[in-house]
Amino acid sequence: MKKIIALLLALVMVVGLCACSVEKTTETQAPETQAAASGETQAAASTGEAVEISLWAFNIGGFTEASNWDSLVASFNEQHPEITVTVTPINYQDGDQKLTTAITSNQAPDIIFEGPERIVGNYAREGLMVDLSDLWTASGSDIAEGISSVSQLDGTYYMYPLSVAAHCMAINYEVFEAADALQYIDEETRTWTTDDFVAAMEAVRDAIDAGTVTVAVPGIIYCGAQGGDQGTRALVNNLYSDYYVTEDGTSYNANSENNVKALTLLQEMVNNKSLSANASFAASDELQAFANQTCAVSFCWNFSNYTQYAEQTQFTPFAMAFPSDDGKPELEMAGPYGFGVFDNGDQAKIDAAKAFVDFVCNDQTAGTEAVKTTGFFPVHADWGDVYADAEDADLRAPFALMSDYLGRYYSLTGGWTEQRALWWPMLAEIMTTGADVQTAADNYVQQANANIG
Amino acid sequence: MAQARTAAGGSKPQKKQPQTTQTSRTLARRETLSAYLFLLPSLFFFISFVVVPMFICVFYSFTEYGLGGVKGFAGLDNYIKLFKDPVFHRGFLNTLLIVVVAVPTVTAFSLWVASAIYKMHAVTRSFFRCVFYLPVVTGSVAITVVWKWILHPYNGILNQVAGTTGFDWLGTQSTAIWFIILILFTTSIGQPIVLYVAALGNVDNSLVEAAEVDGGTKLQVFWKIKWPQMMPTTLYILVITTINSFQCFALIQLLTKGGPLNSTMTIMYQVYDTAYRLNDLGYANAIGVVLALIIAIFSALQFKIAKTD
Repeated sequence: MKKIIALLLALVMVVGLCACSVEKTTETQAPETQAAASGETQAAASTGEAVEISLWAFNIGGFTEASNWDSLVASFNEQHPEITVTVTPINYQDGDQKLTTAITSNQAPDIIFEGPERIVGNYAREGLMVDLSDLWTASGSDIAEGISSVSQLDGTYYMYPLSVAAHCMAINYEVFEAADALQYIDEETRTWTTDDFVAAMEAVRDAIDAGTVTVAVPGIIYCGAQGGDQGTRALVNNLYSDYYVTEDGTSYNANSENNVKALTLLQEMVNNKSLSANASFAASDELQAFANQTCAVSFCWNFSNYTQYAEQTQFTPFAMAFPSDDGKPELEMAGPYGFGVFDNGDQAKIDAAKAFVDFVCNDQTAGTEAVKTTGFFPVHADWGDVYADAEDADLRAPFALMSDYLGRYYSLTGGWTEQRALWWPMLAEIMTTGADVQTAADNYVQQANANIG
Repeated sequence: MAQARTAAGGSKPQKKQPQTTQTSRTLARRETLSAYLFLLPSLFFFISFVVVPMFICVFYSFTEYGLGGVKGFAGLDNYIKLFKDPVFHRGFLNTLLIVVVAVPTVTAFSLWVASAIYKMHAVTRSFFRCVFYLPVVTGSVAITVVWKWILHPYNGILNQVAGTTGFDWLGTQSTAIWFIILILFTTSIGQPIVLYVAALGNVDNSLVEAAEVDGGTKLQVFWKIKWPQMMPTTLYILVITTINSFQCFALIQLLTKGGPLNSTMTIMYQVYDTAYRLNDLGYANAIGVVLALIIAIFSALQFKIAKTD
């Protein structure tokens, strides 16, 4: 009797545990878009072979929730009722961890929505992505050369782009006005020279000391190891018109004469308190400090950040290009954001994934909606100004202007991921410990080049 | 003695001994079987999700393993790289510092608080236990958000009170690790306090009273009577606090990400960073194996010392 009871108990426990795990799986799937369910119904009704594909989308612009994809998926299903698209939103905090886990356990999604840094630089380089050259041949003729070049690796296209923008910086217009620093910027072109930048930041510092403005510091060079490095990179590279990587792409370039000069200038500005540097600050901390008027400039600005912090800002965040010695900035691309298709070995899924990418990026109606959701600008030159009739066209205009200053794209240089881990310590060493700039930059370049391949 | 024999069954039952022995053996077998059956579900999950992954981890540590899968056998390369890696050296020293500082202070402070509150009125005792246990149940994300606010260079309350506006406590090499230890300390003391309060309540009072009657001082009573009886609890607290300190991850991930300049890098965080940011999974597994070995050695030493005591 006892044995039977023991067996029954064990059985109950096993079944209970299994039930728990099933419940957990259901919960994990819960955030996925409802469009999947509707698509499933349509797929069943279709005469074609039903295919289920998964899309993992980073939180780019307004694509923060799975529901943001609902209307696009629904439109797609009108043309392809046999394809079910399941959307899972991921973010930059733990997205890499989720993707690495999925890839290493052979459960990679069919489609990923991100930029070339991950799609081409990380995944295509590891041989995980599908060749998308056919999409480019069919519809990519009006996409700019700069975007086309970063979507491929060794001549094969692995990413199909949707939208693009330029990273820029921003100033607190009212603080600059009160500090009499507006004289140092060109409000029309939104540019300034390095000398103007230095003078403006000193004016803000003096205004803080005089109590004319209430911000705590003029600006913060964030050195914390988290995204947003494009801001500090662009700041350093523009000050004396140099590049992050040498022209032939064989070496990182922080130790060049002009970049060392730029880093030295920033170090001096930190020392004379016209800038501040914080090793514990990531880009998000700096953005928050800008939004709550702790500092008067942000080095990590774009339309997406503008909309994210719009409700918190009680001032006019005025988008500016990064300062450069000749007043001609070269900005880094935000994106281009687009799609990559993982090679999961199932041709039906690959074809379905390509059909979805083709629809979202090349169908002008769906594509315009998708571009607007990202908050950036279409990669298709033929589509023109998609925001022309938008209510917030005026707000977007400065960011459209920044696209005129787009410069070289570096993020596909070999060892990119590894060098990012080295950039922050170098910056922290120079800005917060007063280390010798040339030595720190040399060490960084030596270590970064070790992985360049 | 004869009465005792009779009471226990005397000589009569001896005739039936073979049958009794067989019955008791059968019973013992049944009980053993029942025990194994009860253990089976958890054993299944333990083997599936702990033991097997451990062996897989050891296997991968000898491979060149990246996002594209295993590229080849790396032999001892990952381990050789590890011993030459300055980030690992820094992480190892920081981990040791955290363990060496946090474990004794957590244990001593918990014992001190428990000694102070265990004789209090039940309501007061429960109140203090709740207060000290709160950080354990609050969750590390909430705690780090609060600490981030306290330590904020420009708006933080610490700088406002200390008059050091702008000082970056978590961004300065000399202070960051100590704040990590402090925060770890606040989140680690809850459970030991509860355990010590329970252990002190279980101390045999007759021995304490006897020692006091014999003229023992409070300190003597504590060391000679109470402390030995609390040794199993102390050993448990030492082991779990050591393991928690070695595996300190969430605080670092949420507060400093190992910075500034690796001053808060720990072995555990390096495992994560190497695997998920650098995608060097083979090397991350090698670091994980070394961390497991270090923890095993420390735990074994603690058991050994406790047994000797």
